[in-house]
Amino acid sequence: MELLDSFSIGLSVLLGWKPILVIVVGVIVGILAGAMPGLSPSTAVALLVPFSYTMEPALALILLTSIYIASNYGGSITAVLINTPGTPSAAVTAMDGYPLTQKGQAGKALGTALLASTVGGAIGVMILILFAVPLARVALKFSPADYFALALFGLATVASMSRGNVLKSMVAILFGLMIKNIGIDPISGVSRFTFGSDQLYDGFTLIPALIGLFAVSVVFAKMESWTGIPRVLEKVDNKLPSFKEMMKIKMTILRSSVIGTVIGIFPGAGATIAAFISYDVSKRWSKTPEEFGKGSLEGVAAAEGANSSSVGGALVPLLALGIPGSATDAVLLGAFMLHDLVPGPLLFKNNPDIVYGIFSALILANMIMLILGVYGNRLFIKVVSVPEAIMYPLILAIAVIGSFAVSGSMFDVAACIGFGVIGWLFKRYGFPVAPIVLGIVLGKMVEENFRRAVMMDGYSVFYTDKLAFVVLLISFLSFVWPLYKGWKHHQSVNRSKVKSQHN
Amino acid sequence: MKKNIMVLFVALAIFAGCITTVQAKEFPTKPIKLIVYTKPGGAIDVFARKFTAIAAKYTDATFVVVNKSGAGGIVAIKYILSQKPDGYKFAAVTKSNIGKIVSTGGKINVDDINWMGMMMTDPEAVITNVNQDVVTWEQLVADAKAKDGKQIWVGPAAGGNDHIMALKTWKAAGIKAKWIPYSGGGKAMAALLGGHGVAYVGNPRDVIGRPDLKVAAVSSEKRLSGAFADVPTFAELGVKGLDHEIMWRGFMTRKGIPAEAEAFYSDLLTKMTNDPEWKEYIEKGGATPLLIQSDAFTAIVKKDQREFTTALKELGVIK
Repeated sequence: MELLDSFSIGLSVLLGWKPILVIVVGVIVGILAGAMPGLSPSTAVALLVPFSYTMEPALALILLTSIYIASNYGGSITAVLINTPGTPSAAVTAMDGYPLTQKGQAGKALGTALLASTVGGAIGVMILILFAVPLARVALKFSPADYFALALFGLATVASMSRGNVLKSMVAILFGLMIKNIGIDPISGVSRFTFGSDQLYDGFTLIPALIGLFAVSVVFAKMESWTGIPRVLEKVDNKLPSFKEMMKIKMTILRSSVIGTVIGIFPGAGATIAAFISYDVSKRWSKTPEEFGKGSLEGVAAAEGANSSSVGGALVPLLALGIPGSATDAVLLGAFMLHDLVPGPLLFKNNPDIVYGIFSALILANMIMLILGVYGNRLFIKVVSVPEAIMYPLILAIAVIGSFAVSGSMFDVAACIGFGVIGWLFKRYGFPVAPIVLGIVLGKMVEENFRRAVMMDGYSVFYTDKLAFVVLLISFLSFVWPLYKGWKHHQSVNRSKVKSQHN
Repeated sequence: MKKNIMVLFVALAIFAGCITTVQAKEFPTKPIKLIVYTKPGGAIDVFARKFTAIAAKYTDATFVVVNKSGAGGIVAIKYILSQKPDGYKFAAVTKSNIGKIVSTGGKINVDDINWMGMMMTDPEAVITNVNQDVVTWEQLVADAKAKDGKQIWVGPAAGGNDHIMALKTWKAAGIKAKWIPYSGGGKAMAALLGGHGVAYVGNPRDVIGRPDLKVAAVSSEKRLSGAFADVPTFAELGVKGLDHEIMWRGFMTRKGIPAEAEAFYSDLLTKMTNDPEWKEYIEKGGATPLLIQSDAFTAIVKKDQREFTTALKELGVIK
C-alpha cells in the first residue's frame, strides 16, 4: 500500500486551481506545439523551460510533462489534415491519416488518433508508475549488440511499409541512411561529407528534412498540376469513429501502447521508432492488411498509440535512474537541474511529492487531452475546407517558419526546400518518402551500436549474444517473409493470367 | 529669494547635465543577450540561467538567454564574432568549445575573442559502478592489467575532453584499455550502470543523485569537500601528472567592446564570484568557483588549444 500512500502525496500536490490550470495550459500548449511542424516535443518543452524557472518545482515539472504528453497527439492533427507531420513520429500517422482525409473521413482519423493517444498515453504512464525501477534495470542490461539488432528490426519494417514496389522502398531507405552519414562520425569524431561547412557538422536536422519531404513536396506537386479550377468540396465528415469502429481497433491500440512503452524505455530509441515498429506489427496482425497505407483506422491507431505511450516509457530511465531516454528527457533533466533537483532513485525518496505529483498529473493530463481534443477536433477539421489557393501557400509559409524555428538557422530553411524538391521527385516517380525518414532516424542507431559492439567484443558478438542473435533472425525473417509472399502472389497471378490466355 | 531659486535651478541644470553625460557612458542601456551554444536544458544552459538569475541581485540590466546550438559551439562563437562589438552580446563557453575550434580546422582565431572570465573549474573524475567487482582505483588498475587492453571505459564523444582525460590517465597509470564513445554523457552512464564498461570519465557532479555510481579518483590537487571528501586524488593514489585536469566554464565576447562595457562585466563577474548563492550552486557539484580574467584566461585557452591539437592529431581526428 506504499504506492497508495505515495499517491495521496502526489494527489495533494494537484489540489487547488493552480495545478489544474497548469495542466490545462500544458496540454493546450502541447497540442498546438505538436501540431506546428518544426516544434517537436523536445523543442516545445525546451521553449517553456525558461518560463517555468520562476514556478514552484512541482508545478514547473507538471507543466513540462503535460506538454510532453500532449505534443505527441498534437503532431497527428497536421499529419492527418494536411499530410504534414507536426512531430517526427506523426510521419507514420500521415501514412493512413491523410488518405482518410482525402476520402472525406478526417473526423474519423482525428478521433482515432485522439482515442489511441489517450489510451496509449495512459497505458504508458501506468506502466511507468508500476514498474519504473525494475524496467529501467532491464533496459540497462541491453548491450550495443542488442541495440543494433533492435535498430535493424526497425529498418526491416520497410518491407511491410511498402505498397507494391519493395525495390523503390529500399532505394528510399538507403537514401535516408546516406543522408544520415553526413556530419560528425559518432565514434571517431572525424567529420564526414561536410565539405568544411559548419552547418553540416551535425548533419542535416531531422525536422526541416521531414517537413520538406512531406509537406513542401506536396506543394511542389500541386504547383505542377495546378489547374486553377477551385476544388469541389466533397462533404467533409467530422463524425467521430463509431462505437463499433472503436471496438474493432481496441486490440490494435492496446498492442501498440505496450510496444510503444517498451520501445520508449530504451534510451535513444524513441517515439518515431516505436511508431514505425508498431505500424509494422499491427499490419501483420491485421485482418485487413491491404487497407494499410490507403486509409486504415488501424494504421492511425497503431502509430498514435505507440508514440503517445512511448512518453511513459521514456520517462522510466529518466525518473528511475536519472538517464535521459529521449531528446525531450534531456530537456526535462535540465529543468530538474534548474530547480536543484536530480532525478533518480533518490528523488523517489527525498521528493515523493514531485515524483508522484508528476505521475498523478500525467494521468489527469491524458483525461484533459481527451476532453480538449474532442472539442478541438471540430475546430481543427475546418482546415480541410480551406480553399487550395490559400492552403498551399500557407503550408509553404508554415514549413519555412517551422524549419527556421528549430534552431534559428536559414540553412535549415534551405535544407527544408531542398528536401521538398527531393520529396517531390521521389513521389513523382513512385518512390515512397516515409522510408527516407526511417533511414534518417535509425541510421545513427544502427551505425553507432554496430561499431560499439564490434569494438567491445568483435564480430562474433552477433551470434554469441543470444538476444541479439534472436532479434537479428526475427528481423531477417520479417524482412524476407513479405517479399516471399509478394513473390508467390505475383507468381499465382501470372499463372492464372497464363491460364486464362490459354483458355 | 528669486535669485536663490535661480541659483538652485542653474545648479540643478548643471547637475542634471552631469547625469546625462554620465548616462551616455553608462552600460547597459538596453537588454544584453547571453548566447548559449546548446539547446535549452543542457548543463551549460543551466549555468547561464543560474548566472542571470543571481546577477539580478547586482544589476538592473536585463539578460536574455538565447540558445544558438550547432557544431559543438562553433555556431555560437562565430555568431558572437560576427556581431557589432558593442558589448550587448556575450556567450557562455566551456573547455570543450576549444576542442571543437581545433577539430573543426581552427577557422576561429582565439585572439579575436575577448576571454572575459573563467567562472568555475570542474575536476575530471574516473567513475565506477558500485554493483560491479571493480569499484576502487586499485581494483580498476588490477582489472586492466588482468584484461590486458580489453578493459572497457565508456564516455561521451571521441576526441572530447573526457576522452583525452582517459588517454592521459592510462598513460600516467601505465595501463591499457578501450574507449567506447556514446553520444552524450547520459547514455555513457547508462552503459556503466548496465555493466557494459567498468569506468566512465566525467565530473564528480555526475554521481549526484545516482547512488549506484562512485567516484574512484579525482584529478584535483587537494581532496574535494562535502559529499566527495572520501574520494582520493590521483596524487594520493601514486598517479603523477593528473593534479589539474579540469573542465572549465566561463564567458566570452568579441574583442573591441567599449571600456564601460568591459568595466561593467569585470565588476559583475567579481561580485558574482563572491556571491554565496553562486558559490553554493557551483560547490554542490564538486566544482570550484573562481574568476580568472582576460590575459590569464587567454593563456589557459591557448594551452588547451595546444593540448587538443596534439591529442586530436594522435587520435587521427585532425591532420
